Amino acid sequence: MIEHPWLIPLAPLLAFAINGLLGPRYLKKATGVIGSAGILAAFLLTVWLWAEGEYGEATLFEWLASGSLAINIGFLVDELTVVMLLVVTGVSFLVHVYSIGYMAHDGSFARFFAWLPLFVFSMVMLVMANNFLSLFVFWELVGVCSYLLIGFWHDRESANNAAMKAFLVNRVGDFGFAIAIFMIFWNFRTLEYGAVFAQVGQADPETVLVIALLLFVGAMGKSAQFPLHIWLPDAMEGPTPVSALIHAATMVTAGVYMVARMAPIFEVHTTALLVVGGVGAFTALFAATIAVVQTDIKRVLAYSTVSQLGLMFLALGAGVYTAAIFHLATHAFFKALLFLGSGSVIHAMHDEQEMTRYGGLRRKLKWTYGTFLVGGLALSAIFPLAGFWSKDEILAGAFMRGASLDGDGLFIVFWALGLAASLLTAFYTFRMVIMTFHGDPRDAELHERAHESPAVMVAPLALLAVLAMGAGAVLGFPPEHGLIHDFLHHAPGILHFELTGNQTIIAISLAVISTAVALLGALGAYMIYSRGAPRAESIGQFVPGMHSLLYRKYHIDEIVNYGIVATTKVLGFILWAIDAKIVDGIANLIGWTVRALGGAARQVQTGQVQNYVFLMALGAVVSVGALMIFR
Amino acid sequence: MNGSDFAFLLPEIVLVATAITVWAVDFFTPRDRKPDLAWPAAAGALVAMAFLAISWGEHREMFLGTLRLDNFSLFFRFLFLTVAFFVIVGSPGYVRRKLRNAGEFYGLILMSTVGAMGIVSSREFLTAYISLELVAFGFYVLVSHARHEARSNEAGAKYLILGAFSSGLLLFGISLIFGATGSTGYAAIAAALETTPDFGMVWTLGVALVLAGLGFKVAAFPFHSWAPDVYEGAPLPITAFLSVGSKAAGFAFLIRLFAEGLFPVLDDWRVAIGVVAVLTMTFGNLVAIQQANLKRLLAYSSIAQAGYILVGVATLNADTTSGMLLHIAGYTATNLGAFLVVIYFHNLTGKEGIDDLRGLYRRSFLLTLVLAVSLLSLAGMPLFAGFMTKFYLFTAAAASQLWWLIALAVANSILSVYYYLLVLRQAFITPESEEEEQRPAFRLPSHARATLSLLMVLVLWIGIYPSVFVDAAEAGSRALFGG
Repeated sequence: MIEHPWLIPLAPLLAFAINGLLGPRYLKKATGVIGSAGILAAFLLTVWLWAEGEYGEATLFEWLASGSLAINIGFLVDELTVVMLLVVTGVSFLVHVYSIGYMAHDGSFARFFAWLPLFVFSMVMLVMANNFLSLFVFWELVGVCSYLLIGFWHDRESANNAAMKAFLVNRVGDFGFAIAIFMIFWNFRTLEYGAVFAQVGQADPETVLVIALLLFVGAMGKSAQFPLHIWLPDAMEGPTPVSALIHAATMVTAGVYMVARMAPIFEVHTTALLVVGGVGAFTALFAATIAVVQTDIKRVLAYSTVSQLGLMFLALGAGVYTAAIFHLATHAFFKALLFLGSGSVIHAMHDEQEMTRYGGLRRKLKWTYGTFLVGGLALSAIFPLAGFWSKDEILAGAFMRGASLDGDGLFIVFWALGLAASLLTAFYTFRMVIMTFHGDPRDAELHERAHESPAVMVAPLALLAVLAMGAGAVLGFPPEHGLIHDFLHHAPGILHFELTGNQTIIAISLAVISTAVALLGALGAYMIYSRGAPRAESIGQFVPGMHSLLYRKYHIDEIVNYGIVATTKVLGFILWAIDAKIVDGIANLIGWTVRALGGAARQVQTGQVQNYVFLMALGAVVSVGALMIFR
Repeated sequence: MNGSDFAFLLPEIVLVATAITVWAVDFFTPRDRKPDLAWPAAAGALVAMAFLAISWGEHREMFLGTLRLDNFSLFFRFLFLTVAFFVIVGSPGYVRRKLRNAGEFYGLILMSTVGAMGIVSSREFLTAYISLELVAFGFYVLVSHARHEARSNEAGAKYLILGAFSSGLLLFGISLIFGATGSTGYAAIAAALETTPDFGMVWTLGVALVLAGLGFKVAAFPFHSWAPDVYEGAPLPITAFLSVGSKAAGFAFLIRLFAEGLFPVLDDWRVAIGVVAVLTMTFGNLVAIQQANLKRLLAYSSIAQAGYILVGVATLNADTTSGMLLHIAGYTATNLGAFLVVIYFHNLTGKEGIDDLRGLYRRSFLLTLVLAVSLLSLAGMPLFAGFMTKFYLFTAAAASQLWWLIALAVANSILSVYYYLLVLRQAFITPESEEEEQRPAFRLPSHARATLSLLMVLVLWIGIYPSVFVDAAEAGSRALFGG
């Protein structure tokens, strides 16, 4: 299998090609099966690769072989790649199966099942790349696919805007990424991972720091870290399975993967790790506070993703890469579960997404409720579900990084931020569960018509629920020495920090603390929301304006809209006006002056050419003058 | 120089002969058949291309060293012939609708091509200048060729006056440089600079004026004002020719001038050219956002593209020259694709607004596909030519350590995607009104389908597997820099 790693991306690519070319006209509903089969094939091939246990690099072809720029397109398959591939193809497969049911009545069913495998293909290629150029190419392609899928329902203006926003915010991140690549090439004369990593040790640490920070800007865009997080909550305008795919398996995990993969670059300068951890910890808490007051079920989940990604970056910053990848995997399971579960609820409630109109659904949607509850418990990191193991490791890692001798005290602060985020996570999760499934129906008519989803949608939920329940303990027990730790231990670039003190006692007390905090959050939500109508405002009363500030998401969108987007447009308009209008204006002014002076009522020649000549002459004079002065 | 050397000028000779033949045949051709003169004209360009093969690998000085045929000039001569071929093949439908005197139209395109081919071979100011005028004279007529359209006449007049003005700047600059160094030959100027590093004010003024004159030809800020008006007013095939052929000729002039003549003093000018590059791309991109007319959008977009190429001039060395040649090749295929779509769309609907593209997806899949490929390539998306060539160019430019320049160029390139996507949104996504849904699908002539597909394949080829093109560009660059 290792000789032919290209078979893995080939399967979804074929599914895309078949569905894209033949789907709309001939295959129609069959596209769903073909798409799912393509992803399943990729998953099984990955399992085969994993079972064989042989890893390495394989060159596919020479992309550029000339002179200064020699680049081979190849695949890098190591333990990290395999974990990512298993998560990406596994979760994507379940999302595909679920989509067959969810999208059954959509007019563009075939188009959906053409873009979806392409999305998975891009992501698979991204994690298998062995050089920065391929990484960047597929990084961009993932962005394009997200644009196509978020804007899938293109007769909705909001979907179009969300797609454009996602794409552009990602491009801002890509700007940093692109500059980083140019710097890498200039400093190391190569773009292959291995060759670059071999050289970073000898390079100027300050330069490597700049490269690392620019790479991180790229990761912030893709993985929705503050302040580039603004696209992710809007991205839920796409069909719910797409949200599940973006939030769990593809797209947002790319940034986390990238930083983990680039660990040798980030570790050259501890400032880089500090920035990664700090941004992650801040985003974790920041997004969790917003999630607490949202009433749209998908929006709560979206901010929850931003928050959880923040935790993963906290882990990366703390140097516990295994914990980050571990949490990436468990999060993929329970977030996919929660999103697909929310899709099932939305499906049942006839596309209503407002939790204020839900309530009492647990009797109607038994399977959805059961699986959603499991996902919620896992997200809240309640023992012994999946989220507990991975999140506990992240917080423990951050704490120990702060407490250890070669660490940085600031990580204690980051740990506290992460802990606060955990409290809020449990709170908003149970708020969501209670508002949706418990209490009395708040919209009797909708409730009356609600019905459980078909088996094709429930089966993936059940499977994901099993994963969300057991994956943590299976992969991560005993802590630090579970399956995933031993497996990733061999991956190059995955380092471990030396800790001090009696670790067992510290680790256990930290686990107890975070569990207590999670239970506290859940309890708080129960106290406030379980009896009668939700009283979100009741918390807000403690601090006037707080609720509105949170509900409006700290006004970040407005700031970006008026601060940046509008400024750019206005600037463009002014320049255009200068180009097209003011030249005319000057001409008219001159004409008017001439007329006023001469007093003759003759026609005024206001052809623009004179003014263009004037502008050119002015340009020549100014540039020559500037050169004379500055030389 | 001996008789057999003329064999290497056969492509030019063939073009001139074809042009004269087309003009002569035009007299005897009935009016309704005149647009079909495109086919002999295009065939002439193909024959000329075949004769180019003789020049491969040859480095030959001709006419007392005023012309030099090498792989650099070969690269551009091939490029110009390709442009002429596609523009002529893309014209007949448009010519039939809008223009009289078709023979004159095609012949002038060929003559302008001869001029452009002269520019890239010139190693001396006056030869280059006269070739440049040969290009420009053709365009003065061609821009105003839609004789009964006010816009076309206005554009022609503007182009003539501003072109004359820029020629004046260029000539004045040349005369000052001649005054300072005593020569108009690039090699002699370089030799003079080796012995006398600074000629003072006269020299600086001379170079600045030459740059201003050439800045006009490539439509660099602040010498760009003519471009949007002329692009909008000129007949569409001519706009396409202007935006790729004429621009490429200006850059070839600049590159050879700096590589062979002004290289010793390049460091004095890097920052100035870099600033012009940044202003050009930023201005082009910002204003393009405001446009509702497809031609004007492409005009401003091509101003921005000139800015990216100027990054290569500011950081000139062997690698960035390869990068520029590569980028110019990719940009040529891409922009030709975009303009051919506009031409065919205009032929079928008489419209050219961005709003008018609504429903294009339903009416012609091929037009939509080529438009998408071209615009995504202009936006620098991976898998398309624009990403690959800009990546190569900027990577090479990074060696100059002018990080502010690279950063601003990348920022521009990355954010320009916004306005290209707005166009694609109209073509793909924005729903038609019920009335519009009744409009029939387009029927494209088969030669249109062939040329569009060919250009699309080229854009993807350069974007995905560019080795052949990189080799050609590097061969061209080696002709100037050795190695």
